[in-house]
Amino acid sequence: MCAEALWVEKYRPKTLDEMIDQEEIVARLKMFVKEKALPHLLFAGPPGTGKTTAALALAHDLYGEDWRRNVLELNASDERGIQTIRERVKDYARSLAIGDVPFKLIILDEADNMTSDAQQALRRTMELYSRATRFCLIANYMSKIIEPIQSRCAIFRFQPLPKEHVIKRLKEIAEKENVKYDDDGIEAIWEICNGDMRRAINTLQAAAALGKVSRIAVYKVIGRITPTEVREMIVLALKGDFIEARNKLRELMISYGVSGIDILKMIHREILNPRSGINIPDTAKIKLADTIGEINYRLVEGADEEIQLSTLLAKIALIGKEIGYS
Amino acid sequence: MSIPWTIKHRPKKVSEVVGNDKAKETFLAWLKSWSPKSKNKAALLYGPPGVGKTSLVYATANELGYEVVEANASDVRTSQALKRRIFRAATERALFSSKGKIILLDEVDGISLKEDKGGIDAIIELMSISRHPIVLTANDPWDPRLKSLRSLCLLIEFRPLKKREVISALKRICEKEGINVAYDVLKALAERAKGDLRAAINDLQAIAEGKSRVSVEDLNLLGARYKQVNYFEMTRQILVANRIEQARAVLATPSLDYEMLFLYISENIPYQYDNIEAIAEAYDALSRADMYMGRIKRKQAWGLLPYALNMLTAGVAVIKHKPKFKWTKYSFPERLKLMAKMREKRDVRKAILTSIAKKCHVSRRIANTEILPFIKFIYEVDKNKGKKILRWLRISENNFKLIISK
Repeated sequence: MCAEALWVEKYRPKTLDEMIDQEEIVARLKMFVKEKALPHLLFAGPPGTGKTTAALALAHDLYGEDWRRNVLELNASDERGIQTIRERVKDYARSLAIGDVPFKLIILDEADNMTSDAQQALRRTMELYSRATRFCLIANYMSKIIEPIQSRCAIFRFQPLPKEHVIKRLKEIAEKENVKYDDDGIEAIWEICNGDMRRAINTLQAAAALGKVSRIAVYKVIGRITPTEVREMIVLALKGDFIEARNKLRELMISYGVSGIDILKMIHREILNPRSGINIPDTAKIKLADTIGEINYRLVEGADEEIQLSTLLAKIALIGKEIGYS
Repeated sequence: MSIPWTIKHRPKKVSEVVGNDKAKETFLAWLKSWSPKSKNKAALLYGPPGVGKTSLVYATANELGYEVVEANASDVRTSQALKRRIFRAATERALFSSKGKIILLDEVDGISLKEDKGGIDAIIELMSISRHPIVLTANDPWDPRLKSLRSLCLLIEFRPLKKREVISALKRICEKEGINVAYDVLKALAERAKGDLRAAINDLQAIAEGKSRVSVEDLNLLGARYKQVNYFEMTRQILVANRIEQARAVLATPSLDYEMLFLYISENIPYQYDNIEAIAEAYDALSRADMYMGRIKRKQAWGLLPYALNMLTAGVAVIKHKPKFKWTKYSFPERLKLMAKMREKRDVRKAILTSIAKKCHVSRRIANTEILPFIKFIYEVDKNKGKKILRWLRISENNFKLIISK
């Protein structure tokens, strides 16, 4: 049996020329390639707008087919702290670039997940090795990157992809893959994923596995992507069964391995999603959304995930009682 | 006093060990299938004091013909001392019995890290070389110091004995001693002991030894039984407190581990508080305490500790909708148990997420929320397509099945 790639990877543009979105950014990156000169870069923007793709395409155009030898890809969320990042950068920067580009490229993805202390340390590392390396930092939120780093980088803001582009791209892929689809199905993907191309293509591939990409197929996918435990947990809490709700929470955290912040996002999405089937008045929804924000804030402050999420469940139970949910 | 009755009447057969039938079964099955190549070379019997952990080991050894080599917390357990005595026993054949030996390390949670330097490491080393089954006992297996040990052992839980079980054990002793003890006395003793048979037997001996008849009045001889404060009791003390000072009193406990206390309180709020208002209020206080702790840890802001501890104790106790006191059974922090149980699954998940992360240029976290669920969906609706994608990601199908199963 042969292997089959995920379409997000299969159809990821390999070169800057292949990138059709973020025209201005791509144009400036092409300039850098032509000059073989590069400042430190900071790519900021929402998920699925092409930040990583642009960084990889830039690397490809700079160094050619064996670009991997000149590029170090790091992910701030996965590396264990700044110490590891420093060590890896140090080892990597020790050797010179191969070929005619006088520097190597370090792509540091999800840089906004670093604490400000770690970012300070990163800043020093950037300075220390700036003769032979360039950094390309990638982040969702610019505001979470400290000023001194921002000031050392050329900043590129990635915009959410426009609807026509997303729809056109999805149809292209569907045709190349010989997938049956109708316009309403593609429209549904757009409604749910908006400008997040990664989510859109993954949704397309999953819906295609059902035979035809229709609105119903798309809803089926989305309904199953969020673990059903999230909805069950909310409903149990609303009904006042705190202990069972907490068991669901533990299942999510421990057997699904979902982080506290991600669970919060899912709860938020479920509560605001009119199709989720959670029937509570809008006033209660607003109150809950606000509580979720408060809990998120506490997590960001370094609080414990299980305790904070249990607190949220207790709040949901309280609201359930106030509105007489049953 | 002559020989303590707890030793004189120690069960000689497995059937004489009262209660905890499931634990007994698990233990026997483990022992009988034990070989030097077993996955779990050691069993960790855990539970509150006096529920029969050590007794079960001796009764089994006696009945099945094992020799027991024991070391316990009162022995000095530097790795040197342990090595000399126990290692030799573990690697040599049994002297007196054909079946072999059981190496019993009693009360491993009594190992203090400072004094018994290397004690835990020595036990782990012992496990790897032992030619005989090793049994450890502990009151609190979730003690962070036992973390590395815990994952190597088969965990067998012992629960407090039921009142009728304590009574039946006491009755057996009375018969053997030829004493006539009123049923109400036995009942009262069982009540006081709260599931601790050793305590009950000691009490019985204190009031009954040398007599032929014991009545309810004799109970007055017994003072209040001193009990070591544990996390359960601390939690109870906090959750039933009505005043700030009552709740804060637990903070005087020496070498209190705040993080443990957080886990116990978090676990048991919904058991002690039965109305949702109270649960929400208590959790709100706990979550604020927890937030202070987060800031303390991240920013080394130790000045915040008093506020954190105040919310952890008084904040959780003194709430608007405090329910009336009722006696409820508390639970071990389930989270610690689950973490230990789920370790294998977590490791496999991490490896799979690492494969996806590499191939798709994302973090494991994004791989978990934005990519894995789609692959799972495809696999579930179309096995063939799913398999092809797994092959592309170089993920084994069996591992994948393990993490998507419940």
